[in-house]
Amino acid sequence: MMKSIVLSGVVAALLVFSGCSEKEPVVDSQNSEQVAAPTEVTAVETETVSAEDSMVNSSTNSAEMTMAEIESKLPTIYFAFDKYDITPEMQERIDAAAELGKKDIAKSLSVKLEGNCDEWGSDEYNFALGLKRAEAVKKALVADGIESSRISMVSYGESNPVCTEHTKECWAKNRRVDFKLIP
Amino acid sequence: MKILLALLMFFTFTFGADATIEVVKKAETLPSIAVEDASNDYDESFKLRFFKALIADLNVISIFNVDRHYRINEYDANSVVVENKDQEYVLRYLLQELDNGGLGVSIKLLQKDGTELFSKNYRVSKQNIYMFVAHAIAYDINEFMGEPPVSWIKRKVIFSKIVAPMKTEIIISDYTLSYQHVIVKGGFNVFPKWANKAQTAFYYTSLDSAKPTLKYIDIRKGTVKNLMSSDGMMICSDVSDDGQKLLLTMAPKGQPDIYTYDLNTKKYSKETHYRGIDVNGQFMGRDKMVFISSRLGYPNVFSKTLGHDDVEQMVYYGRSNSACSAHGHYVVYKARETSNAFSENTFNLHLISTKTDVIRRLTATGVNEFPRFSQDGDAIIFIKNYKGQSAIGIIRLNYNKNYLFPITSGRVQSLDW
Repeated sequence: MMKSIVLSGVVAALLVFSGCSEKEPVVDSQNSEQVAAPTEVTAVETETVSAEDSMVNSSTNSAEMTMAEIESKLPTIYFAFDKYDITPEMQERIDAAAELGKKDIAKSLSVKLEGNCDEWGSDEYNFALGLKRAEAVKKALVADGIESSRISMVSYGESNPVCTEHTKECWAKNRRVDFKLIP
Repeated sequence: MKILLALLMFFTFTFGADATIEVVKKAETLPSIAVEDASNDYDESFKLRFFKALIADLNVISIFNVDRHYRINEYDANSVVVENKDQEYVLRYLLQELDNGGLGVSIKLLQKDGTELFSKNYRVSKQNIYMFVAHAIAYDINEFMGEPPVSWIKRKVIFSKIVAPMKTEIIISDYTLSYQHVIVKGGFNVFPKWANKAQTAFYYTSLDSAKPTLKYIDIRKGTVKNLMSSDGMMICSDVSDDGQKLLLTMAPKGQPDIYTYDLNTKKYSKETHYRGIDVNGQFMGRDKMVFISSRLGYPNVFSKTLGHDDVEQMVYYGRSNSACSAHGHYVVYKARETSNAFSENTFNLHLISTKTDVIRRLTATGVNEFPRFSQDGDAIIFIKNYKGQSAIGIIRLNYNKNYLFPITSGRVQSLDW
């Protein structure tokens, strides 16, 4: 189903493009110019093969339940403003998560650590800060005995807020690392 | 008196061409211009929209005092309308509806006595891209008046807009945002970057797959290519002038560093090796780059020669400078002015020259970020977030003027032009 949607999108896009590219600019005779106008392009189909999707499609119902259950027990790790070091309180949360990760039921699962930041900056530095937060959590998990091959990382910068009000409580909630399980 | 004069001349010649020195041109010294509409085609609302676009563009080129009154005249009338008799220049235009929905525009620039100085015809295939004609007219008038070219006025801006958490759109627009075309809809895509000077293709980061992936879209062919992925981060920060080299920020082992990538040889080269954060590489000429590093314990601007290990600190002011762009010997950077974890913070853009010690502050309020020089260095484009409103701003360095173009919804994440 998904494939056919994507395919028909691509075909439609190709039709539109082949239609456009043939037209030669018409230019008035003297001292005139063709104004460079942006080519009209239909939206590019975005592939929606994310880790979350493949999880839903490929797992059995019971496995899904287990995974969802485990994920609901995994913590969120919060950070101070402009920092990526782990406080003792957050270290306890990571230790508990590592214990959970070592249990038989979770041993086959991998985890994706998603680093996030508050709204103060959309630049690359903010993305890197989110990543260093994820890396700090990864290091703590590895120190607790989780194989590093089971852990992947990504940063969403300020683009994935859980709270969108402009308050200090809200910013603190957004400076975080989330755990997402991958089968 | 002679000493004073000599001193004055010394300063004029020393700093005259330096963009870090503020130039304040007094409004009354600029020549005045008025605009006359001679169109018979199209309805009043479109005629007025075109008039407003043209007035805005004439304002942005910053060489006239622009009269904002809408006046009507015959295209071939020998004299300007009575109300415009005192204007030094009059720009008269004629809009014409062409076959197949095209738009034709004729213009002439007149002196107040009716003498014709300059004329030109324009034509676009669709009425709804009229603003590009207005930009082209402003470009030509500016050139006719003998001013340095404003090529950026005709360029397209590409930006990503956050519409919901982890949901973005990539949009191509003109610099005023009055034309907007969503080119990538749906998904989580950030950091679009033009792949060449002709703006026929662009790179962007897709965060929808398991690993951040750099993609390439050819706008003319409508093709999407996956170029490369990296765990953690994968951003195309800059493209060289010839389009053959990229500066990438990648983090294959969770460690954000800057890499050069040669599109011909398909080879990477790691440029930074610091254990903290190194990001935001921007070409400075062919062989150097400026970048943001946390190697002093806080983000700041550094430069280095590509392929060598020399690293030089560029900025000695501020405790948090987290974004930058370079052109010639100028560097523009974003500085945090307040350091408050619990209330609104102010971020301003500053300009430095590698040849002087002068710092010029370019913005005053709100969160100003993501500065990018125009290709000719005449202007800087940036993102401004202030009181819940997101806007794209343009700074004209030599005229000391800022222009803001707000977006109606969402938040601008990153941009390029």
